[in-house]
Amino acid sequence: MSVSDTYAKWRYRSVPDHLLGEVLSKNWIDNAIPFAFLLIVVALFGSLIPGFLSPAGFSDLARQLGEVALISIGLGLVMLAGGIDLSVGSTFAMANFVSLALINSLGWPVWAVVPAVLCVGALIGLMNGILIGYLRLRAFLTTLATLIIVRAMVDLLILSYAREVAMSMTMSEAWFYLGEGFILGIPVNFLLLVAVAILVHLVLSRMRFGWHILAVGGSRRSAYNAGISVRRTVCATYVISGVMAAMAGIFYAARLGSVGPDTGIGLEVTVLTACVLGGISLGGGRGSVFKAFIGTVIVLMVTNSLIRLNMPSGSTPLVLGMLLLLAVAVDIRWVKNRHKLLSRVYVSPTYFDLPEDPSANVDATSSYALNDKFRDVTAIGLGDLDGPEDMIFDSNDNLYTGGRQGDIMRFFAPDYTRSEVFVHLGGFPLGLAMDKDDNLHACVAGMGLYMVTPEREIKCLSDETNRSLFSIIDDSRIRMADDLDIAADGRVYFSEATIRYGVSDWAVDALEARGNGRILAYDPKDGSTRTVLSGRVFPNGICMVDDGESLLFAETWACRISRFWFAGPRKGQVEPVIEDIPGYPDNINRASDGTYWVALAGMRSPAFDLSLKMPGFRKRMAQRVAMDEWLYPNLNTGCVLKMTLDGTVTESLWDLSGEAHPQITSIREHKGALYLGGINNNRIGRYELPEADQTWTSQNEYWGRT
Amino acid sequence: MITAFKRVFDRVTGAGEAAVTVPPMDGAFKANMALENAPVWAEIPTPDNLTLWRGAVYLSSGPVLYRSDTGGQLTEVARYEAAITALAAGDTLAVAVAGRGVMLRSERGETELVSPRAFSGAGCLTAMSFAKDGTLVLASGSTRHTPEDWARNLMERRMDGAVWAVKPGEPPRRLAEGLAWPSGLMCQEDKGRVIVSEAWRNRLIALPMVGGGPDVVLDNLPAYPGRLMPSETGAYLCCFAPRSQLIEFVLREPAYRTRMMAEVPPQFWVAPALRSGDSYREPLQGGAVKQLGILKPWAPTRSYGLLVALDQSFLPRRSFHSRADGTRHGITSACATPEGLRVTSYGGDVVLTLPDEVQKGEQS
Repeated sequence: MSVSDTYAKWRYRSVPDHLLGEVLSKNWIDNAIPFAFLLIVVALFGSLIPGFLSPAGFSDLARQLGEVALISIGLGLVMLAGGIDLSVGSTFAMANFVSLALINSLGWPVWAVVPAVLCVGALIGLMNGILIGYLRLRAFLTTLATLIIVRAMVDLLILSYAREVAMSMTMSEAWFYLGEGFILGIPVNFLLLVAVAILVHLVLSRMRFGWHILAVGGSRRSAYNAGISVRRTVCATYVISGVMAAMAGIFYAARLGSVGPDTGIGLEVTVLTACVLGGISLGGGRGSVFKAFIGTVIVLMVTNSLIRLNMPSGSTPLVLGMLLLLAVAVDIRWVKNRHKLLSRVYVSPTYFDLPEDPSANVDATSSYALNDKFRDVTAIGLGDLDGPEDMIFDSNDNLYTGGRQGDIMRFFAPDYTRSEVFVHLGGFPLGLAMDKDDNLHACVAGMGLYMVTPEREIKCLSDETNRSLFSIIDDSRIRMADDLDIAADGRVYFSEATIRYGVSDWAVDALEARGNGRILAYDPKDGSTRTVLSGRVFPNGICMVDDGESLLFAETWACRISRFWFAGPRKGQVEPVIEDIPGYPDNINRASDGTYWVALAGMRSPAFDLSLKMPGFRKRMAQRVAMDEWLYPNLNTGCVLKMTLDGTVTESLWDLSGEAHPQITSIREHKGALYLGGINNNRIGRYELPEADQTWTSQNEYWGRT
Repeated sequence: MITAFKRVFDRVTGAGEAAVTVPPMDGAFKANMALENAPVWAEIPTPDNLTLWRGAVYLSSGPVLYRSDTGGQLTEVARYEAAITALAAGDTLAVAVAGRGVMLRSERGETELVSPRAFSGAGCLTAMSFAKDGTLVLASGSTRHTPEDWARNLMERRMDGAVWAVKPGEPPRRLAEGLAWPSGLMCQEDKGRVIVSEAWRNRLIALPMVGGGPDVVLDNLPAYPGRLMPSETGAYLCCFAPRSQLIEFVLREPAYRTRMMAEVPPQFWVAPALRSGDSYREPLQGGAVKQLGILKPWAPTRSYGLLVALDQSFLPRRSFHSRADGTRHGITSACATPEGLRVTSYGGDVVLTLPDEVQKGEQS
């Protein structure tokens, strides 16, 4: 092995490149920039200001947060629905005044003041909501007008009643507790904030109303077309925003008890900066409660620190304004470019060295010698089928196959000229198997493992497995179930070819050549699914060995077939059976003479084999060359091999013209004939095997019936 | 300094010089089936160069020179010890043989005009053209490779081609050097220049016959230009292989190219070819995977059939295609006869007749 190969091998074995793309594909990655910014802020001011990181500092911050973050969450909800609410500062001031007036001069009890003030906030929000949601006015100008009107009302009220409110003082303990109390050393309002945040988070991420908000913000028209009441949803967000601002106003009133005319001035800018800085998109539809929260923490830390650094007055708004500009710029660029970045880094090839191709120098005596035996194959369902990846027979000799339209087709014995749609599954069925009661089991791409009874009843057997501990992408969901076989005890072993790609782009996995696939076992006794073998290179065909404790599986891009023991003394072991197949093995099935048929979906080509040893080349190709122009494994020539259990290939059957069966993904022997399927083909081929046992069927072989 | 930075930046980002974009087959290059549907005039393996001399069509195929009657019946005229790489018709018939130089044939027999050691690259002549004064202009593809090794010359990114002018009795005169595989010639005496197709730079240039710097007359071709023939309305340009994003990309990947040339047999390289699809060991691109048993005509391909009709100012006017799903690939020469335009498809092992109405674009 050359130096560069050795280097590439260790470089790609030690650095998990694929994780970068997986991290970027996560939704929480949007939090990365604000979080990094927060760390910078903490580091910067923590070093500039002594005592910045003290418990007392945090307590102050928490109490402030309890007020401002509430407003941020309210504004965040409005922004998520695609709007903006500038009136929060005025609502805050109004709530402050009303609560002081109610408790001080009118002497209301706290339990009556709080709901009353919240109602005032809701009312202001409702006014915004009706104007913007139902009358469809522009959010920016409408809430700007509300800001001015409510502010003017507060000023008028202060002018008339400030003395009365300021002169009298309440003696309510509960009121002071709201403003200054602690529970377990944590400010009361902060705990309330946490409760509200959790509630809103649950609503946004788990409940119908939250999803409606995100849908409306993401695309108003689509949300409308999907039947969501857009107007009501938009209106509701403003009401919630008003209530949140009012709640913050109550805490502020309880803490300071002052009705100064500058209460809440400029608060809308602070909160808006917080939301955008946290990563809530101005365009709507992207954001979370956590983002509003983290943005508020950043803004409060910056403003507090600027005050403690004795900066000249005016510097705080200046810094806030600049932060807002920066956040808006980052927001726009990030939303626009995130997908580009993701598509550049997601495909991450790794080093893979295939053994030498045994078909490179074949002579006529080799078992890999080319022939044209498949020239006279007869076609079944020509033109009616689109992608028969696999086919299977029931006890009455009827043939079942899948198709890209999401159907299982049934062709009737004995001549297979008549057909019907057996069931519609809705996903692309790949591997098929039959249990002893003629229940059809199908691996459906994107959906999982399904069973269809002879009465056409469809049952989902499995669509998730155990989540592995350290995987970044959620590998509990089954994305690409490929082929299956049923063990004697009824357990279903099936392969998931790759956990990183779906059925439309599975071929991209060939470019990676990493062990992205796994083998799963479904146990019908308790309905559970477990991953029994992972880290395999596109595991594809599965075939039971008749010892009842092992199976054969093909790893397509690795050009090898291995044997896996799932029971017995060798349980858990994997042993390669054949490692130098000249092509890409797909499905494996039993032959009537005790050997195995292997379908090769394509053949190896030296230029592609070489590229497997140069991951950087493939990576750059994925980035720069259009997908249709990528160097691919050669999937235009397939063949069928006959193989014994010890890995000796005894025969190969070819279609050299490549017209009828360019790519063979499955074979099935049944009563003296071999049936050929192809995932990109429009027919099933039937090839006569005159020397084979003319009564042999896989149903009898598996389940011992005659 | 800035250029160096820009080059590094381009290599990292795949922009500028490192971009792998290929001009689309559009406008005058809009794809059709004209070559695929054209009637066969003669079937012969690897037909290379056609020329009309003294009223008869002469054709080279490997080491054999054929003469044909109008019906397409071919008779062997001569057989050389190596492949014939170019023909040109003037008062005599000039025959370039790989590694052997140029012979002049006439009824008086055969004389050597250019010996293999006359100049470096005399063994790799890819095209020839007679000027009216009897000067023979020669395109030498490379000083290092033989004509069959053209793919290696491209993959090594060599620019060691030259154009020479030879007059009997005088030493050869070099008109230009440092060309990227010149592979087609057309003398324009009235303008005192010769038009050269420079394959690896995908362009046509005009060289003054008296010597001097070249002018670019046609640039940015979507294929590798080969031989040129004058026509009534301008010229015909045979493009022997298509460009593709993947090959442009491989040309910018020196490490992969070096290993490919060292470890992979040449017919399986990721390189342009005169024919493809013969073996499953050839490289395949994503869009060329057969769907429902059909290879899409737009599929990316290493070989293609393309003949371009140029006007007097060498602008493409129309083109004749055999696409990815066709077989008439590797168009190496064309020759106007009274019965129509004869076109050689090296990869398709046929000589085609392009009828007049097809040439004029009345049907496709």
